[in-house]
Amino acid sequence: MTATLDRAASGLRAPGRPGRTASRGGAGLAMSAPFLVLYLCFFLAPFAYSIVLSLRSPQTSAFVGLFNYHSVVSNGQFWSAVVRMAYFGVIQVTVMIVLAVVLALFLDSPYCWGKKFFALAYFFPYAVPGVIAAVMWGFLLQPDLDNALKVPHLLGLAAGPLNPLGYRFALYAMMLIVTWEWTGYNMTILLTSLTSVSREVLESGRMDGASELKIAWRIKLPLIRRTVAFIAIISIIGTLQLFNEPMILNDIASIGSSYSPNQIIYNTAFSFGNEQLAAAQSIILAAITVLATSAFYGIVRQRRRRGGQPVRTAVTRGAAR
Amino acid sequence: MSAASTVDSAGAAGARPAPARRVHAKAARRAKTTVGTGVALIAAAYVVAPIYWLVVASSKSTGQLFNTSTFLPPSHLSWGENFRLLFTTDGGYFGYWIANSAGYALVTATLATAVSTLCGYALAKYRFRGRRLIFGLVVGSLLVPTTALVVPLFLLEHDTGLINSYQGVILPLLVYPFGVYFMWLFAADAVPDSLLDAARVDGARELPTFWKVARPALMPGMVTLFLLSFIGTWNNYFLPLVLLGDTTRFPLTVGLSAWASDLNLAGAGQPLYPEVILGSLVSVLPMLVLFPFLQKYIARGLTFGAIVGE
Repeated sequence: MTATLDRAASGLRAPGRPGRTASRGGAGLAMSAPFLVLYLCFFLAPFAYSIVLSLRSPQTSAFVGLFNYHSVVSNGQFWSAVVRMAYFGVIQVTVMIVLAVVLALFLDSPYCWGKKFFALAYFFPYAVPGVIAAVMWGFLLQPDLDNALKVPHLLGLAAGPLNPLGYRFALYAMMLIVTWEWTGYNMTILLTSLTSVSREVLESGRMDGASELKIAWRIKLPLIRRTVAFIAIISIIGTLQLFNEPMILNDIASIGSSYSPNQIIYNTAFSFGNEQLAAAQSIILAAITVLATSAFYGIVRQRRRRGGQPVRTAVTRGAAR
Repeated sequence: MSAASTVDSAGAAGARPAPARRVHAKAARRAKTTVGTGVALIAAAYVVAPIYWLVVASSKSTGQLFNTSTFLPPSHLSWGENFRLLFTTDGGYFGYWIANSAGYALVTATLATAVSTLCGYALAKYRFRGRRLIFGLVVGSLLVPTTALVVPLFLLEHDTGLINSYQGVILPLLVYPFGVYFMWLFAADAVPDSLLDAARVDGARELPTFWKVARPALMPGMVTLFLLSFIGTWNNYFLPLVLLGDTTRFPLTVGLSAWASDLNLAGAGQPLYPEVILGSLVSVLPMLVLFPFLQKYIARGLTFGAIVGE
């Protein structure tokens, strides 16, 4: 349901300017009506309601201005979850994108057999619900269920069985899971981008005697830079919205009920019944998300300006994680 | 594909050098390809391992799960018993969950595709008052993380009595701004104005024109949109978790997570390991089977916007 786009909406092309069909405006509006009505009821209304709600007192429902926002800003637990996700994102998103780029360039090179099979296999986790991915990995990373985790202990290398879902490693275990879920998705986007790279450009590179590695690095990679920036942005958004994985891992291995911001919002609203505070938390999280993506986009754009390339935008679906 | 491109580039490279060098180049290429495929296999193992484990583990009883080798099938397969457990535990909720997940996904995908296609087509092919506003709304809402709307949606549905109903889950998922945007771009490309004008000259009205002329041209885009919405709904967890209280209305994700959360509760009785594991496999299975056939349609949708930006 969620879709994402990088910041500069102004750069979007409004395609297919209507031409001579212009006079039949009534029909156009009528065809848009179902979407508009649904949008009003299930997007705009809740959005407006959450703003109103966030300005009311949790106890008396009276108007209290920015009181709830103040509570969020001064809440250490909320910020430590945000910082945790930022740390998570810096490592996980970097690793995932490097992996996705390498795999995509690789499947686009002549040096691999069975490319179709690999492209399919890597993409498959996209079709696995985040909940199921977390359940699978949650079990696989438990020493009770996974004999492999006992091996270091049996060899005398560790004091006990490894427990990747224990207090110290749970964050990294979650990185492993999220990387599993989304690397192939990102690789698929990159791979399709790569197939649109002109064959002539590549052939002329080969004629000049450039090695495949050089072609990948010098020709292909620069041509897909925008797509790389784009998947980085949707990944940052996804990280800040992380919910399924920490919820399920908490069910299975008790990693904590305030691990990610969305988990805190859920508990604030439904375990403690404080919807007003939860609304303020949601709005602040959405604002942080927009800020983080804008900041990232700003950095990328500045680099490009220096590189002298025109800036355009990229839009696609960022699935709700 | 791999064979073809290998031959191609071998041909290009081999156009000039002497035979001896060509043989050498061939051997070098083969060595590189072997190493490359090896690396690709390692990455594939990371992807496949948990799914393979899920298949193996789903054949084990609780006792076997803890006592047999993790990645090897047990000597005695317990699939029959596990399936019986899966569909009878808790009074057979699992059957409801499968039906619900399929229902939510089918209805949502069908209606969301219809609503988005109509709107996207209208935006691409008509000029009318409010068109710019709709464009702004669609693009603006691409920026708002939808998880921010879950709490207010819960309260609004609570007040209007929609909560805990099938419609309550489906209706919010029909708002699919990406779908509108996608269809807008797609329709602008796929349906030439001349085609519509020709139909109009013949006296056809707008809706029949859409149905007879535009819809066939839009079909490939609609298939993509349907699949994206279907998978998104099938995988959704946060929204139904919040909006549903009645266990018989849960989709698979919410139902299985409820079972999983009982695993560590003291005094919750026999832990439901076989049910959770086999249930997970069953909820992945349809896509595992269909994915090879659907892959290219799905990939097109994901990539569409990114390509537009290139």
